[in-house]
Amino acid sequence: MTLPLIFDIRHGSMDDGPGIRTTVFFKGCPLSCSWCHNPESQRMEAEIFWDAQSCVGCQACHAVCPGGASAVLPEVTLHREKCTACGACTEECPSNARSLIGKHYPVEELVRILLLDRGFYRATGGVTFSGGEPTLHVEYLSTVLQTLKKENISTALQTCGAFDLENFRRHLLPYLDLVYFDLKLCDTTSHLTYTGFGNELLLANFSALSREMGKRLVPRVPLVPGITATELNLTEIARLLRELGITTYQLLPFNPGGIEKRRLLGQPFSPEIPESFMDRDTERRLRELFRSTVR
Amino acid sequence: MEYTQLTDLRLSEFTLSNLPLLNELRTRTLAEKPRVCIERARYVTDSLKNTRNSGEPIQLRYARAVKGFLARKSPQFFDGNLLAGTTTSKPFGAPVYPELTGLTIWPELETISTRKKNPLIIDSADVNELNFEIFPFWLEENILEATRRRTGNPGNLKLFEKLVFFLAGKAGALSHTVPCYRVALERGVDYLIAEALRREHKIIAQGLLSKADKQQAIFYRSVRIALEGVRDYAANLSRGAAKLALAETDPVRKSNLEAMAEVCAQVPAGPARTFREAVNSLWILQVAIHAENINMAISPGRLDQILYPWYRADLDSGDLTVAEALELVGCLWLKLNDNTNLVPETAEELFGGAGTVPAVTVGGVDGQGEDAVNDLTYVILKVTELLQTRDPSVNARYHPEKNSRDYLARVAEVVATTKCVPAFYNDSAAIRTLVNQGVSSEHARDYAIIGCVELSASGRSYDASSSILLNLVAALELALFNGKRPVTGDLQIGPRTGDLESFTTFGEFLSAFHAQLTWLIGQAVQLNEEFGRTHQEKLPSPLLSALFEGPLESGKDLISGGALYNASGATHIGFADVVDSLSAIEQLVFTDGRFTLPQVVAALKDDFEGNEPLRLWLANKAPKYGTDHPVAVKNSTSLLAFLYETYQGYVNYRGGRYRPAFWTMTNHAGQGKLAGALPNGRKAHVSFASGITPVSQAAPDLTCCMRSVARINPLHIPGGEAFNLKMVPVDTADDLESLTDAVEAYFQAGGLHVQFNIMTYQTLVEAKAHPDRHPHLLVRVSGYSAYFRDLNDAMKDEIIARTAYDSRTGAALPLPAGYRDRLPANEPAEKMIVSGDMLNSALALPLAKFVDCITSEIVEEFLEVLLDLMKMVFFFDDDYRKNIEGFAGRYLFRSVDRSITISAVFAQGKLHVDEEEIPDPHVQVIFKDGKALMNFLLAENPDILGAMLRQEVTPEGNLNYLYKFAYMARHLQRMATGRVS
Ligand code: SF4
Ligand code: SF4
Repeated sequence: MTLPLIFDIRHGSMDDGPGIRTTVFFKGCPLSCSWCHNPESQRMEAEIFWDAQSCVGCQACHAVCPGGASAVLPEVTLHREKCTACGACTEECPSNARSLIGKHYPVEELVRILLLDRGFYRATGGVTFSGGEPTLHVEYLSTVLQTLKKENISTALQTCGAFDLENFRRHLLPYLDLVYFDLKLCDTTSHLTYTGFGNELLLANFSALSREMGKRLVPRVPLVPGITATELNLTEIARLLRELGITTYQLLPFNPGGIEKRRLLGQPFSPEIPESFMDRDTERRLRELFRSTVR
Repeated sequence: MEYTQLTDLRLSEFTLSNLPLLNELRTRTLAEKPRVCIERARYVTDSLKNTRNSGEPIQLRYARAVKGFLARKSPQFFDGNLLAGTTTSKPFGAPVYPELTGLTIWPELETISTRKKNPLIIDSADVNELNFEIFPFWLEENILEATRRRTGNPGNLKLFEKLVFFLAGKAGALSHTVPCYRVALERGVDYLIAEALRREHKIIAQGLLSKADKQQAIFYRSVRIALEGVRDYAANLSRGAAKLALAETDPVRKSNLEAMAEVCAQVPAGPARTFREAVNSLWILQVAIHAENINMAISPGRLDQILYPWYRADLDSGDLTVAEALELVGCLWLKLNDNTNLVPETAEELFGGAGTVPAVTVGGVDGQGEDAVNDLTYVILKVTELLQTRDPSVNARYHPEKNSRDYLARVAEVVATTKCVPAFYNDSAAIRTLVNQGVSSEHARDYAIIGCVELSASGRSYDASSSILLNLVAALELALFNGKRPVTGDLQIGPRTGDLESFTTFGEFLSAFHAQLTWLIGQAVQLNEEFGRTHQEKLPSPLLSALFEGPLESGKDLISGGALYNASGATHIGFADVVDSLSAIEQLVFTDGRFTLPQVVAALKDDFEGNEPLRLWLANKAPKYGTDHPVAVKNSTSLLAFLYETYQGYVNYRGGRYRPAFWTMTNHAGQGKLAGALPNGRKAHVSFASGITPVSQAAPDLTCCMRSVARINPLHIPGGEAFNLKMVPVDTADDLESLTDAVEAYFQAGGLHVQFNIMTYQTLVEAKAHPDRHPHLLVRVSGYSAYFRDLNDAMKDEIIARTAYDSRTGAALPLPAGYRDRLPANEPAEKMIVSGDMLNSALALPLAKFVDCITSEIVEEFLEVLLDLMKMVFFFDDDYRKNIEGFAGRYLFRSVDRSITISAVFAQGKLHVDEEEIPDPHVQVIFKDGKALMNFLLAENPDILGAMLRQEVTPEGNLNYLYKFAYMARHLQRMATGRVS
C-alpha cells in the first residue's frame, strides 16, 4: 500500500465533530479552492513552509541542502524550483523558519498516535479525517478506519465529495459514524471557476448518500464573502437541503488563515479573497436567511 | 444523588438583582481600600509585656495574650452583612503580626499609604504606636531573630536571606491549615472548655505529676484560657449588636442587629441550632483563629459537608429558603474578603496580589467513599458564580466514579462564568496520595484543600504546607557553575560538584545536579527544623489546637505534634524550566553531540548575546516537558521521584514527614527575574513557568499538555500541584461539554489538579495597559485568585504569556507580539521631590547638607551626614527622640573596601557615632558605596532584593534593628523634603 502524506495531526480539537477529537489532515485534493484556509493541503507532494521573517541567518539550511535550493546570498532564500522538499534544511533550521509539510505514517504508527487521546474522547469524541481529501487514499484510510473501529473509536470524515461512490460505499462508509460533506457553490460554472472542479459528481454523491445516511451526513457550507456567501448561492443550497429533507447542517465562518499560509508556500493568493473575518451582522443575517429557507 | 433534591442545579432563578443585599455588600467590598489595623498587635504585645515577669510558661502567657486581644477586640458592624464578627477593626483590614514578619514594614510605615503597588492606609497615630510602643518590644523576639539568636546565625539562615535559593516559610507563618469546625459547631466552645478542664483535672487528680503530665496540664489550661477569649468576643458582639439595634431606625437593619445579638448570645459558646447560627459560629471561630495565627491560608475546608446538617434541617422545617441560604453563604464569602496581608514592598515582588487564600472545598465523596455532593454544594457554587471575589479560593473535588457528570458540568459552567474558579481536584488520585502518606482511608476521603492547592486530611493533619519554597533553578545553576550562581557572584555556595569539562555522560552531570539539590534541600530542611523549634518555644497555638482532632486527646499542642497527622510541605519553583534544561543538555550535548556543555554555559553567561541560533536550538529543537517525547517524560518523572524520595527521608520536629509540592504563587515570576539564562533557551530575567505547568508554547495542543501532566505519579507530589491552563473561548453549550470532557479525561488519566483562566491574550494585554478599566478582573495565579490589577508587572507578563489553547481547534495559540521573547519590565526610578521646608534654624545646616546629599550624585558622605542630622534632631525634637528612649542598639556600617567604618551606638536616649569597629553589633551593614546605601535606606521604591543580590548592601545580624534604623532615616528624609511637619 502506498502511504499518503499527512501534513498535520491535531489533538484536542473540538471543532471537527462532536466532543474532543484528533484530526488527521491528508495532503492532496482534487479541488483547488482559492479561499482554502489550508492551502498546504492542496498538492499531493511534500512542500516547504518558508518564513523569512523568523530566519536568523545562520546558514545551516545552505550547508545541508543537496540541490542548491537554499541560497544565502545576497540573503537567505528558498529557490522552490530547485527544492525537492527533502526536508534536510527543516531538521537543521533552529528557528523553525523552514518546516516540512507532509510526512508518511505507517498505519500502526498513525493508529498509535490516534489512540494517545483515547481518554479524552469520552462518550462523544473520536477521530476525524480531513484534508485535503482523505478519500484519495481509500486503501490506507480504510485500514486505519477498520483498526479504529476494532478499538471502538468513533470516526468522522470531512470530504469535498469528489469520490467514486461505489468505492466509498464499500471501503469507507461501513466504518464511519459521521460524514461532513462540503457544499460550496450550487452554480456549476462558478464551482468550476473557483474550485477548478465541476460540481455534478459532488451533488450526485451527496443526494445518494443523504438517502442512505440520514442524520449521519452533515452538509457544511463555507461562508466566503462575495463567493459562496451570496444570498443567491445560499438560498439555492438551502433549497436543496429542504428538498432532501436535511435539517442538520453547518455554516463555516470564513477563516482568512489561508492568506498567511500561501505566503509561507510562496504562492500568490487571489485578490478576491478578503483578508479579514466576516462581520458579525452580515454573518447573522446570512445564517438567518439560510435557516428560514431550509425550514 | 440522595443528597441532591434541587431540580435546577444552576439555581438560575437567582441573580444579583433579586439578591439585593448581596449585590450591595459586594459593591461595598470591592470598593473598600485596605487599611492597617493595629488592634491585635496592640493587645497581644500589651499582654505579653505585662506577663513578661510572671514566671508563667509561654503556653499560658500566649493563651492570655490571645484571650486578652479577643476580649478587648472592638465589636464592629460596618454594613448590612447578616453575620457578626470582623477580622480587624477596619472594613478591609490588614492585621499586624509582630511575632512573625510584622516588623518588616517598619521602614515603610510612613510611606506604605502612598506606595505605588498595593498601598495600605494607616493612621498616623497607629504609625506612632507601632514605632514607639509595639515594634520595639519585638526587636529580639520575633521568630526570625529568636532563631538567629538561638542558633548563632548559621549558614543556612544566611542562605535563606539571600532569597534566591529557598524561602523559609516559617519565619512568616505556620498557619496554612484546615481546622476542624464540626465539633465546635455541634457542641459549642463551652463544651470544649469543659472538656479541657475535665482533662486538666484528671491529670492533676493523679497527685504526683511527671514533667510530661505537667506539660499536658499546662496545655489544657492554655486551651481553656484561649477559648474563653472566643466566648468573650462573641458576648461583646452580642452586646454591641443589641446596643446598635436600640438606636437603629431602619427597620431592616434593626431586626438584623437584633438577630445577630441573639445569634452571638448562643454561638459559638453553645451549639448552633439553625443554619444561620452555624454559619455565624463558623465565621466567629475563623476570626478567632486569626487572633492567634497569621491570616495566611487558614482554610475553612468542606463547607458543603460541615454546614449541611443545619441547612437540611432548616430547609425541611421551612425555617430557611434557598434564597436565604444563598444570602447567608454569600455573606460568609464577603466576610472572608474582609482582611488582607501586611506585605512590605519587596515581598510584593514575590507574593504580590494574593489574598489571604482561605480555601473552601466542595463535592467529592464522604468518609465512606460515597457521593457527597448535596444541595448546599450547588448553593455554594451559585454564590461563587455570582460574587466573583478574590477570596475564598473555591476548590471542587470530583470523584470520577462516584460524582455525577451533572455536577462536573455545573462546576465547569461556573468556571466559564467566572473565567477562573473553582479549581478541579481528582478525588481518586488525591485520596490515594494521602493514604500513601499514612492517612487512614476514611480521613483521606475527607480531605480538603489548604490555601493554594495543598491536600490535607482536614481538621486532623497539621501540614505546615508552606514551610519551604525551594528554587530548583538554583540547584541547576549550582551544578552548571560548580557550586556558584551567577546572581550571587563569586561566593562558593554549594559543594564543588565538578568542572563542566569533567562531565563525560549525562548521568555524571545529573549526579552533580542531584548532589546540589540534595545539599540545598538539606539546608532548607535544617533551617525549617530550627524555625519549628523556635515556634515550639515561642508560639504555641492553643486556640487552633482546640479546633483540631488530636490535640485534646493527646494533650499536646499542635506545634508539639498534637495533631493526628503531621507533615511539612516543601514546594518547588522552576520545575518545567529545569526539566527542559536537563532534557536539552541530555539530547543536544550528550546524545547528539551538537554542542559541548562549556559552549552552552558560555552562551548562558552572555545571555545568548551573539548566539541566537544556539538559543533557538535549545528552545525549539530539544525535548519539552508537555509533549510525549520520551526524554522529556523520563526527566520529568525522575526528577519528581528524586524529590519525593529525598524529602520523605526527613522527619520533622513534630514527627511527620516532608511532602514535596509544586505550586509557586508568584514566586516563579519573582525568582525568574533574578535568574540567569537557562539551557532550555529561556533568557535571563524572564519568569519561569508556574506550578507544575509546562513552559509556555511547549505543548502544541491542549490534550497533549493535559496528557503530559496527567502522566505524573500523584503519589510523588503529596503536597499538591498547580496546573494552570488558559483556554478560549468557552461560550457555547458545546464548548462547555468539551471543557467537561477534557477535565474528566485528564482525571481518568490520573491528573490530580487543574485550573483554568478562560481569557484571551488580548483581554489581559488590554487589562495591563488600562488597569482602571478592569479593576476587578479576576485571574488564577498559581493556586489562588487575584485581581489582575494588583499583580506586579513581572507576574502580569507571566500570566499574559501563558499559552492560550483554542478551545475549538485545541491548538496552542501563538503568543502576542512582544511576548515571544520577553524582557523584564524596566521601570524608571521615581524622582525625589524636594521642598526646602526646615523645622528649626539650628537644624538648617545639617538639613541642607542632607538634602544636598540625597538629591545630588555626591553621596560618599551620605552616612556621616545622615548620622549627624540624626544626632541633631534627637537633640531638638522631642517626638523624634522618643524613637530611642529606652533603646539600646549597636550598628556597624562598613564599606566593602573598608575605607569607611562607622559605628552608631544608641544608648540612654543618645546616639554615639565613631569611626571605629565595635564588638558585637546587633547588625552590621556592609555596603559598596554611599549611593548604594542611600538607595537601600531611602529610595521610594527600593530595590532591596536587587541591592542584596548585587551585593551592594549586605546586612548581617538582627534585621529588626535595621528596619528600625531605616524607619528613622526615612522619617528624616520626609522631614527634609517637607512631607512631615
Ligand atoms: S527541503 Fe531539501 S531541497 Fe528543499 S531547500 Fe530544504 S534541503 Fe534544500
Ligand atoms: S537554517 Fe533557518 S534560520 Fe538558518 S538561515 Fe536557514 S532558514 Fe534561516
